[in-house]
Amino acid sequence: MSQKQYWKGLEEQQGTEAHKVAASNEFSEPLPFDMSEGLLEAQTPRRDFLKYLGFSTAAAMLAASCEMPVRKVIPYAIKPEDIIPGVPNYYASTFVDGGDYCAVVVKTRDGRPIKIEGNDKSSINKGASSARVQASVLNLYDTARLRGPLADGKEATFEAIDRSITASLASSKKTVLLTSTVLSPTSKNAIQQFLAKYPTAQWLTYDAISYSGMLLANEASYGKKTLPAYHFENAKTIVSLGADFLGTWLSPTEFAKQYAQGRRVSAKNLEMSKHYHVEANHTITGAAADERATCKPSQMGAVAVALYNAIQTGATPNLGTEKLNALVKNAAADLKKGNGLVVAGSNDVAVQTVVNAINSAVGANGTTINWAVTSNYKQGIDADFVGLVQAMNAGQVDTLIMQNVNPVYESAMGDQFESGLSKVANTITFASHLDETAQKCKYIIPDHHYLESWGDAEPKSGFYSLMQPGIAPIHKTRAYQDSLLTWAGATETYFNQWEAYWKNKLGGQTNFDLALQDGVIEPEQETMGGASFSGNLAAAMQQINATKAGKTEVVVYEKIAMGKGGAWSNNPWLQEMPDPISKATWDNYACVSPKKAKELQAELTSITEVVAAKTVIKIKIKGFEVALPLVVIPGMHNDVIAVALGYGRSEKIGRAAANTGKRVAPLMHYNGATFVAYNDVTIERTNETYEIAQTQTHISYEGRPILHEYTLEEFKKNPNELIEERAKEIGHFASATPWENHEGGEKEAIDANKLAEDFRVNGTLYPNYEHLGVHWGMSIDLNSCIGCGACVVGCQAENNISVVGKHHVLKSQEMHWIRIDRYFSGMPDDADSIQTVFQPMMCQHCDNAPCENVCPVNATSHSSEGLNQMTYNRCIGTKYCANNCPYKVRHFNWMDWNGADAFADNLYEDGRRDDMNDELTRMVLNPDVTVRSRGVMEKCSFCVQRLQEAKLTAKKAGEPLKDGAARTACQQACPTDAIIFGNVNDKESAIHKVRHEQQKERLFYVLEQIHTLPNVNYLSKIRNAEEVIGGNEVKDGLMNDHI
Amino acid sequence: MHLKYESSTREPLVEGNKTYHQVTEDICKPIEQKPSRLWYIGFFFSISLLLFGVFSVFWEVYWGIGVWGINRTIGWGWDITNFVWWVGIGHAGTLISAILLLFRQGWRTGVNRAAEAMTIFAVMCAGQFPIFHMGRVWDAFYVLPYPNSRGPLWPNFNSALLWDVFAISTYFTVSLLFWYSGLVPDFATIRDRAKTNLRKRLYGLASFGWTGTAKNWQRHEALSLVLAGLSTPLVLSVHTIVSFDFATSVIPGWHTTIFPPYFVAGAIFSGFAMVQTLLIMVRKIFKLEEYITLAHIERMNKVIVLTGSIVGVAYLTELFMAWYSGVEYEQAAFKWRILGPYWWSYWAMMSCNVISPQFFWFKKLRRNVPFTFIMSIVVNIGMWFERFVIIVTSLYRDYIPGSWSYYSPTWPEVGFYLGTFGLFFTCFFLFAKYFPVIAIAEIKFILKTSGNNYKEKMAPIEEKSVEEFAHEMEHAH
Repeated sequence: MSQKQYWKGLEEQQGTEAHKVAASNEFSEPLPFDMSEGLLEAQTPRRDFLKYLGFSTAAAMLAASCEMPVRKVIPYAIKPEDIIPGVPNYYASTFVDGGDYCAVVVKTRDGRPIKIEGNDKSSINKGASSARVQASVLNLYDTARLRGPLADGKEATFEAIDRSITASLASSKKTVLLTSTVLSPTSKNAIQQFLAKYPTAQWLTYDAISYSGMLLANEASYGKKTLPAYHFENAKTIVSLGADFLGTWLSPTEFAKQYAQGRRVSAKNLEMSKHYHVEANHTITGAAADERATCKPSQMGAVAVALYNAIQTGATPNLGTEKLNALVKNAAADLKKGNGLVVAGSNDVAVQTVVNAINSAVGANGTTINWAVTSNYKQGIDADFVGLVQAMNAGQVDTLIMQNVNPVYESAMGDQFESGLSKVANTITFASHLDETAQKCKYIIPDHHYLESWGDAEPKSGFYSLMQPGIAPIHKTRAYQDSLLTWAGATETYFNQWEAYWKNKLGGQTNFDLALQDGVIEPEQETMGGASFSGNLAAAMQQINATKAGKTEVVVYEKIAMGKGGAWSNNPWLQEMPDPISKATWDNYACVSPKKAKELQAELTSITEVVAAKTVIKIKIKGFEVALPLVVIPGMHNDVIAVALGYGRSEKIGRAAANTGKRVAPLMHYNGATFVAYNDVTIERTNETYEIAQTQTHISYEGRPILHEYTLEEFKKNPNELIEERAKEIGHFASATPWENHEGGEKEAIDANKLAEDFRVNGTLYPNYEHLGVHWGMSIDLNSCIGCGACVVGCQAENNISVVGKHHVLKSQEMHWIRIDRYFSGMPDDADSIQTVFQPMMCQHCDNAPCENVCPVNATSHSSEGLNQMTYNRCIGTKYCANNCPYKVRHFNWMDWNGADAFADNLYEDGRRDDMNDELTRMVLNPDVTVRSRGVMEKCSFCVQRLQEAKLTAKKAGEPLKDGAARTACQQACPTDAIIFGNVNDKESAIHKVRHEQQKERLFYVLEQIHTLPNVNYLSKIRNAEEVIGGNEVKDGLMNDHI
Repeated sequence: MHLKYESSTREPLVEGNKTYHQVTEDICKPIEQKPSRLWYIGFFFSISLLLFGVFSVFWEVYWGIGVWGINRTIGWGWDITNFVWWVGIGHAGTLISAILLLFRQGWRTGVNRAAEAMTIFAVMCAGQFPIFHMGRVWDAFYVLPYPNSRGPLWPNFNSALLWDVFAISTYFTVSLLFWYSGLVPDFATIRDRAKTNLRKRLYGLASFGWTGTAKNWQRHEALSLVLAGLSTPLVLSVHTIVSFDFATSVIPGWHTTIFPPYFVAGAIFSGFAMVQTLLIMVRKIFKLEEYITLAHIERMNKVIVLTGSIVGVAYLTELFMAWYSGVEYEQAAFKWRILGPYWWSYWAMMSCNVISPQFFWFKKLRRNVPFTFIMSIVVNIGMWFERFVIIVTSLYRDYIPGSWSYYSPTWPEVGFYLGTFGLFFTCFFLFAKYFPVIAIAEIKFILKTSGNNYKEKMAPIEEKSVEEFAHEMEHAH
């Protein structure tokens, strides 16, 4: 190419001098800066004026309105291999809290865990989870967690602490390692290495919620100091003597899953287990039971003996109340038919021995109780602990190392333990919080949260589960196994040992990787095995007969949300989760029967139920008294007071835990062999009151057809009863009216689906909207629902639902998108007559939604897929939609719960919930769900973000949406599979099958007759009982007495 | 426009020996004098209440509706109760000025100005509640149908709340115009009498150059008639539409076809009671007993006993319908109203609204000023409770017992309500001081037919025989 020269003019071509000068100047003309004196005197005042105006406006805008807050966003310099921003990663792991176990899948977004789900691959929990498992992710971001090791209350380095501990351990004459139940085989290895290094060291296991009674009884009865594996799914008859196996007993998530299998009735499958339940207080297991009776906790042994005698000799029980006698008699008869299972919640060796004898007698061992596989959930023996307390107080212990125990708070002997602690020279704890015991310890070396840990668990013999972290340790914490290994002088870290152990056991890297991916390593089939009873039944019976009942007894129980306390006490989600039975939040209290309340001049009526200030009573035992407000719970034994663990903690555990309720552990007592959770007490009314924040105050469903209950017999006799009831209400919209058919004398079966379809089309003046394509629907089985609340917390975690604090719960301003309504029926004075039903209630996504047409600004509208959607940006907060919602499931953002509105300093603060807005805690928020601002309405969205994700995935793959690809958070959390969700237009979907084939007889819609056309249906409750009391005006005294 | 002769058996509407000039003097006196101590005290008190209200609203807007007591079950409490109550009060004015004008009720002239002012102030107070009950009041303009770049996205024309926006704003506009057009000749009177320059200027501005020509009067009369014609349906429509907020819902206790007439009757009932409260005070303080006579009070008491009985029948009809419908939710809603934790509100409503007005069947009590004053307050307490009963006690126990709850107001809610009293009375005190509280021009219309002294002059004429009278008339000129 030729280098052509182009020139702009003759000057350039000729290269004149003048041009050279001009070209050397960048700007050929003088710049239009006007240096004249004033603006108006300038040569071009208009243009300058505009310039100045423009500049000053821009400057003012910059200065005034563009003060952007500095947000720390750090991009990846090198993108980690697995992390794609906006795309979640899932890791199989294991939830372990002492002996509480759940195989889980951890959802992480951008490197932070945000949601926990049950692991479907586990044969133990089979994808189920509990409220605590769901909430455990929040504990990871707990601001009250210790941020590093402490020595004598001061920050210290691991090296310094290790040095001084190693030195003192070497000279320690007696070292005790006190742990809660350890499920992990590799941790046990680490402990063994430690024990090997220090031969004087002793390892003791202590469980705050003790099962020593069972362990010892099993040792005496079967020669095995262990717990068997239970199989509620195999049981035709279940008898529970105070064991809350669906809520808190041993492994409730596992048992709930099994139990639900025996409770799924349909017109085609009329088989259903029969569940007898005896208890002192009211638990969700009692609520699920078919026949329920109450007794004092001290009399549980007598009930067991009566049951044994009734089975063996057919002796008529004589236990005081008619219902209890009948229950024992019928239970005995049913147990004899085989496939029976008896469980007892008592921690008394004698009671458990009798229960073992019964299980042997009815052949439970080998069918419903498996002795070939043992459960490892609880291993602590109370006597060991009591021995330790004595040794400590005698000054015989030099070093005490504690892992996941907090005896000062948890134990009935907390005071003695505390005084003993002061006599121990070296006290070391791995506590994550500065808890009651840690406060007294010399060294605190905080352990990782399980979501930061490598590890494993063997919940049942031969069943393994691996634990892998979802995030690097947030604080300066160290795995307790590493601490022990360091002190043992091991050269390898716990992680290395763990990895080597599993690679070795599984045979190579590939298998190891696969196992890590699956999370569980389990045998194909669980082998069943029995055991024969060889215990001393006579002695046990004698001991039981010698037990005297107190006039008034107290039962110390675990709340589903709170358990023994621990770190859960500082979990705002769990604090605000309504207790399934009492519906109370943020507190513990004394549960009493309506009759007892009347005696204490604190009667519960429809007028007084709205008063939150509850009368305070004093509960006294020798040397200890506690004042708690009373909450009336129908179904409580009249002479029993029930109080919950997990409260009465200090600011040091965290702000959510602080200053609420009372510590009640001292009300338990040591009977010489085990700790038992009841005591004789005296109670005294005070004139004080205390406000309890309950989310539900009315206890009766008033016999309204918002839920339907039948006995199994009624259902067998006429499975179509519910359809007939529905037809009576809405049948006149059918083209061929049902009464015309009936008049002919011959009763023609009503087609349930046609009934609903006719009503949909004819029940309105407006044209019918055809729902083509996807049409989402949900079905909730009231028979499977046990009211455990896992869905409530699961929903809260998934959908960024705000915690509002006690003050606003008191004002009924809580935000839970799903609530579980709990209804009692029966006679208030007769605890044994009470039947309890749970009904989960969330947005029904009505196809003819009353909320939608009243919104003045169209902020809530219907999608073509049948979703009732909220447009937060459009909402102006008139609350008209909430008023017009017949289900009352809409929740308003009353305050600035989470700093998401335009006002700078109006974040709602109440002390106890404030950590929810900490920068650390906010890491738990789900980025897929908008954090709602103050002043807008919100409600269940059917987890629309999950639905969208599933649809997009299917679209990308070029396939139709598969059933089960989209699961709602509540559905996934539910341990009993009570919730089924899917596309009702898909004929192959589970929801379609439930509605049109399997369960059309039990199906109903709440408030169907007002033509809201809900997309949520319920399945009627079938009780395998003699009668259903709810709504029976003669027998359901709560309905009428209650005005 | 009005009767030339009125039977002497009818009570005079203006008492005392009044001439046109005397009327002007009497009514303009408060405007031209320095206000009394009582006025200052009252005005200061009202302003304080208003400021407290402003603070309460500021508190609520800043922190959120959660500072109120309403909750997930009871989404409307004192806010909408007060809204409906104030709107109801705002009914008497237009009824008096429009409907009574069309029906040629001469007695309205003594009370219509104050009643219309009350209407306007009451509607202003009422309007505050739907605005500030919004969770995001800064987005309140979303309810207006204006072209926008969001689609355009229109408000939801199916929503009764949106109809409210139109109904209330129309009503307010028409009432204001009506009131103001009546004020124009009176402002001109004040202007013409003004001794200070400022007064002359301001009232001159306000009177729009009124000169009192025949054309002026003719147009004024025509406008009055047109506005009366426009307002008459509004009197009925506003509260009908307010009642649609409830009647178009699905909530038992709300979903009722009886609501529109029942609400309108209730509104007139409470509106007249409020007029009584104010006028009894005004006639006392400004010594206007000769213009606002016992006859006025009695007539309004008759309206009160009529409308009170209508609402009483409505209450009983609701109970009957609940029973007769066989709808168990409806039946329960009324059971819980009467016997539930809010029983006191139902019984307060019943005794104040249904039982107590029945005393007005007795003429003595109808003409008893202190009794009327007390009753007017009782009726308004009752009508407040009626709205509370309808709103709160329908919501608190509706379909699903698991969601039932209770509600008590908190200080910002009470403060908001007190603040609207502050607004109302601040406006009313200013009105009483600066505006003629009785329509000067209109009272002059009826003076010569219904004024006491003129009626007395009629007495000898009445006594004349028909023939004599006819003869005189024929040869008068």
